[in-house]
Amino acid sequence: MLNYSLRRMMAVIPTLFILIVICFFLMRLAPGGPFTSERPLPPAVMKNVLERYGLDEPLYVQLWTYIKNILFHFDFGPSFSQKDRTVNDLIAQGFPVTLTYGFFSAVFVLVLGIPLGVVAALRHNSFWDYVMTGLAIFSQIFPNFVLAPIMVLLFTLSWGLLPGGGWNGGQWPYVIMPAVALGTSYMASVARLTRGSLLETLSAPYIRTARAKGLPERTVLWRHALKPSLLPVISYMGPVFVYMITGSVFIDVFFSTGGIGQNFIDAAYTRDYSVILGLAILYSVLTFALTLMVDLVYAWIDPKVRSGLK
Amino acid sequence: MTEMISVHDLSVEFQLLQSKKWPWSDAAVLKAVNGVSFSVDAGKTLGVVGESGCGKSTLVRAIAGLVKPSAGTVTLEGKPVNYSSRADLQALRRRVQMIFQDPVASLNPRMTIREIVAEPLTMFFPEMDAEARTTRVHALLDRVGIPRRNANRYPHEFSGGQCQRIGIARALAAEPKVLLCDEPVSALDVSIQAQVVNLLQDLQRDMGLTLIFVAHDLGVVRHISDEILVMYLGGMMEKASADDLVNDPQHPYTRALLSAVPVPDPDAKLNPEVLDGDLPSPLNLPTGCLFQSRCPKRFDRCTEQRPQPRFVGERQKACHLEALTV
Repeated sequence: MLNYSLRRMMAVIPTLFILIVICFFLMRLAPGGPFTSERPLPPAVMKNVLERYGLDEPLYVQLWTYIKNILFHFDFGPSFSQKDRTVNDLIAQGFPVTLTYGFFSAVFVLVLGIPLGVVAALRHNSFWDYVMTGLAIFSQIFPNFVLAPIMVLLFTLSWGLLPGGGWNGGQWPYVIMPAVALGTSYMASVARLTRGSLLETLSAPYIRTARAKGLPERTVLWRHALKPSLLPVISYMGPVFVYMITGSVFIDVFFSTGGIGQNFIDAAYTRDYSVILGLAILYSVLTFALTLMVDLVYAWIDPKVRSGLK
Repeated sequence: MTEMISVHDLSVEFQLLQSKKWPWSDAAVLKAVNGVSFSVDAGKTLGVVGESGCGKSTLVRAIAGLVKPSAGTVTLEGKPVNYSSRADLQALRRRVQMIFQDPVASLNPRMTIREIVAEPLTMFFPEMDAEARTTRVHALLDRVGIPRRNANRYPHEFSGGQCQRIGIARALAAEPKVLLCDEPVSALDVSIQAQVVNLLQDLQRDMGLTLIFVAHDLGVVRHISDEILVMYLGGMMEKASADDLVNDPQHPYTRALLSAVPVPDPDAKLNPEVLDGDLPSPLNLPTGCLFQSRCPKRFDRCTEQRPQPRFVGERQKACHLEALTV
């Protein structure tokens, strides 16, 4: 298992390299650059600026410098559009914010979604099942840009319970609404996944065996049925969790949380090469880590997978 | 001989919710088991045969409490079982255990066979400590012929026959008196079938188990059973001692069933009695005899009145004919 994990981590290195190269050239292919504007800079000034950021060098030299700085100094370079800020700065400032509300959002999704799905599956085809399925469909088709304004309208403007935006160092009243608005539709998906998968597991022959040997329904559910039913939920939550902790543009803008979700868009508009690359690397490293974790959890749950991980 | 388990007029119905056109309309009702009665003495074996869909699996599942009987009573060691009471169900499962048709799928793929066999022990003998449990698991595995050193392996690492042995060990862990076998060998190779059947017979002899053995293979059933019950469309057609039933079938359906048994001799002159027509839908049972639509001996009374099982000597049959002549 350890061997397997190490080998998987080694595979990250070439993949990251390829990713950096592709992103690097793709962005250079896009027309314009970080310093083009409607009123062009005087050629002399432009020359100075390009020299200052090393953009006058041949592309392969720029790429090499970039990779070298990451490898030896863990320096992702300066932001081209925001003066005196480095990419390291921007991520260090914005990532903890999205990590916080993204994490609580994921907790919300799991803590509410799984029990709802379990209840619906156990009360299959009953009133509660229909209520749950209805709610799930409803919140799945309710996009967060509709849900968030409604929440602000109710909880901030009408009842004055929660602040309508801002971050304030991540105190809990400021975290609740972003987390819930971000998570609701995922919560619904998790509930439906859990329900479907548990229903399938409960009809498996070995569940019938468990009942026939005289186990109470509670033990059948907890010891035999729930773990395998959560496999689809786990593989679904891996990428979703990455998406959540890297933040949603809408949530960051609407609640003015100052997370990195907004940086994605800003950087793309201003051709801020280094910020885009930095965020892409962050995103893919997280995706790697989460995918590996999902696979390890799979192996922990399923002995068949475990014996395959040699 | 003391009676171990008896079943009186047992019926199982399923409401087909999918058939409902509207939420408030009535669901179609499928009669899977239709008033079956029998009793088995301690240490004896009752074989249950019939074609696919005749309700033989449902019958044993109902006895095990896996599906709820809609009518009838099951009496275990002289005491009727109340299938709505959790305590009764618990006591039932202590004494009545089941082994299943698909041996591999019936074992939880995420548990080692040690855990699988130990689970009933933690359930029924909570006073047992871990060491005693291990000893017991090893003894059970020895008994069914699975090497102890494999106890920490998972079901997918075993063959079908081995999995069925593990399933038997698991069932025996509760120290049951009755073993319900729901087609335990039909998923296995013929050579393995014999091993498992012999194992069951050995266990029965050593532990005084009462068996109810469901199969569609008359050869296997005849080999293991003291008495055989023939079912058709959820109802009981004939019940007699194994030899009597096979040598002298007294119900037209039994006869057709026996004549369909393949003979392992390419030169044997076969004269199978081929039944015409199709199995009626269990959603819409005929009013008269259940077998009337395919019976070669049908006469007027068969369509009007359903024959109840009646005794003819030791034998029970549900047929209006006094005697079956060729």
